[in-house]
Amino acid sequence: MGAAEVISKTENVSGDAGKAPLIDIRNLRITFPSGGAEPKTVLKGINLSVQPGEIVGLVGESGAGKTTLARSILGVPPAPGRIAAGEVHFEGRQILSLSEAELRRLRGRRLSVVVPNPRAELNPLRKVGDQIASMAKIHLNVSRKEARRMALQMLRDVQIPDPERRMDAYPHELSGGMAQRVVIAMALICNPAFVISDDATSGLDVTVQAQILALLAKLAAEHGSAMLFITRDVGITAHFCDRIAVLFSGEIVEIAPREALFLEPAHPYTLMLLAAFSHSPKLRDSWSVPETARRRELAAGCQYADRCPIAQAVCRTHRPPFAEVSPGHFARCHFPVRHA
Amino acid sequence: MRILAYLAKRLVFVIPQLLGIVLVSFLLVKSIPGDPAVLMLGPTATPSAIAALREQLGLDQPLYMQFLIYVRNLLHGDLGTSWQTTRPVLEDLLQRFPATLELVTFSLLLAILVGVTLGVYAARNPRGWVARVSDLYGLSAGALPDFWFALVLIFVFYTVLGWAPAPLGRIDMIVIPPIPVTGILTIDALLAGDPEAFWSACSHLALPVLTLGLLNAGPILKITQSTMETMLESDFSRYEVLCGVPQNLVVRHALRNALPSIVTIISVLYGFLIGGAVLVEIVFSWGGAGQYAVQGVLNSDIYPVLGFVLFSAIFSLIVYIAVDLVYFLLDPRISN
Repeated sequence: MGAAEVISKTENVSGDAGKAPLIDIRNLRITFPSGGAEPKTVLKGINLSVQPGEIVGLVGESGAGKTTLARSILGVPPAPGRIAAGEVHFEGRQILSLSEAELRRLRGRRLSVVVPNPRAELNPLRKVGDQIASMAKIHLNVSRKEARRMALQMLRDVQIPDPERRMDAYPHELSGGMAQRVVIAMALICNPAFVISDDATSGLDVTVQAQILALLAKLAAEHGSAMLFITRDVGITAHFCDRIAVLFSGEIVEIAPREALFLEPAHPYTLMLLAAFSHSPKLRDSWSVPETARRRELAAGCQYADRCPIAQAVCRTHRPPFAEVSPGHFARCHFPVRHA
Repeated sequence: MRILAYLAKRLVFVIPQLLGIVLVSFLLVKSIPGDPAVLMLGPTATPSAIAALREQLGLDQPLYMQFLIYVRNLLHGDLGTSWQTTRPVLEDLLQRFPATLELVTFSLLLAILVGVTLGVYAARNPRGWVARVSDLYGLSAGALPDFWFALVLIFVFYTVLGWAPAPLGRIDMIVIPPIPVTGILTIDALLAGDPEAFWSACSHLALPVLTLGLLNAGPILKITQSTMETMLESDFSRYEVLCGVPQNLVVRHALRNALPSIVTIISVLYGFLIGGAVLVEIVFSWGGAGQYAVQGVLNSDIYPVLGFVLFSAIFSLIVYIAVDLVYFLLDPRISN
């Protein structure tokens, strides 16, 4: 073990000391018991790193494993899921091997999550001010009074109207947008180094959504937090993500800096996602294939082969490599799309 | 202020509710076959003597007249007279109801202590040994008859070990009972500053409270466990875990959210046990209200029965109003 640690440290140093990632997810595999002998693998070896202060988008359709990833990074995969393999290195520690007590102290303090549908996630019987303040009280060891003061300041920061009065409001008295702001306040009050936004605005009106996202990005920057921004709407990521990863069926199929992803998408699935927003019906039709009645999990080969308009025989038999198509731009495809 | 308006609204309905209860129980009790005049005078009575007594008791009147007379007397605080004890029912009940109330209240406190504690632990660790013991306990507590369990306890703690006093009433024969203030012996003994009477009352309470408490902990345990499991699996508990809230605090918040269900089952048990403790009262010669009512039913002594029904109904209404107030305090969604 000792030798391995030394090696990994030297690798980090030799790579680029300035570019040591804040969080480095390595080969994360999550399985769910499926009734049969073989558990179902929901995340198939995720590799993803985020630099300090960076905002990484993660796009995927429902069922791709987005929420599973968000919760597994925090060490609590959704039940009955299990972390079958993989490591999450954060601030110099492999946090998945920490004790539950140590991991708990990181959650909410250094690593926090902004959840979707906050009116269900907030405790219905506790005042929102107390719920925000208890984050500070639990993690920062501040007095009750100081925690309340911080909570009130957070409510101001997330631009909730009439924050003094909202401190004593219960979750059911808030609108969806306000509840979302409360959850953001809870995620940021301890100045976390890393924030995971898990489809945080999916339940909101489009106009409110834009406000909240802008606020979230602004506050994350002010607090110096890096962010993993999980969403099913690829369009949203264009506004403020530095890099974007595309998740399909438990695998990252493409990752690229923002411009590269939008201007030169390499994976047919990414093209399909982008084409879905296109005004051109021709473009949409050429990149989307009517979904077959049943999704097949191919044991070997590309997971997207069944839906891919340019799939060849090899796609069904050999798993494509995660190849670098241009610097910092990777795609898991045998036939990455070339742009002239 | 909302709470006062709500309370007033509830109280308005109490009178018609009570009237309905009295009407129904009057009709039911009257429909029990058996003529009190025959029972009072014994097998050697002449028909004319029976007829005279029936007239004196008002039994020759039509049923609705009998009911109206009963209600009129009620309004004057007269609950009728028991022919068995030859005393006014109100006096009898004021003496016996506190005995039952004391027994049932202490039993319920024990049941809450056992049921809620085990339920929370079991829900917290659903695969642990506490959960397995709780499952077994919930099952057997529901299956054991209370009088049988009482007899087992008497056998073990009185006959074999000699720790408990004889199951004969609420206080030792040689101990002078405290001056009745509330009718609840433990409280009266404390008020009178009489430690001897207090300990005697406590030692007599021990076995019947153990019987009712341990058996009625079953339903409280089951409700607590299942509600707590739901609460701990709910979104807000999961979110607290994601936020790094310590497990103890997550459990405490979940319990707060589970309280309305737990309070509900407790209130149902409380109302039920006033009459439901009767077999245990008989085993321990408790002299409680349930025992008094059953004697009345068996001997066509209807006024004790009606009086008991009235007392229990008022008690249940008080409990349910208290429960509504507790809901009010527990859940901000109701108070709005």
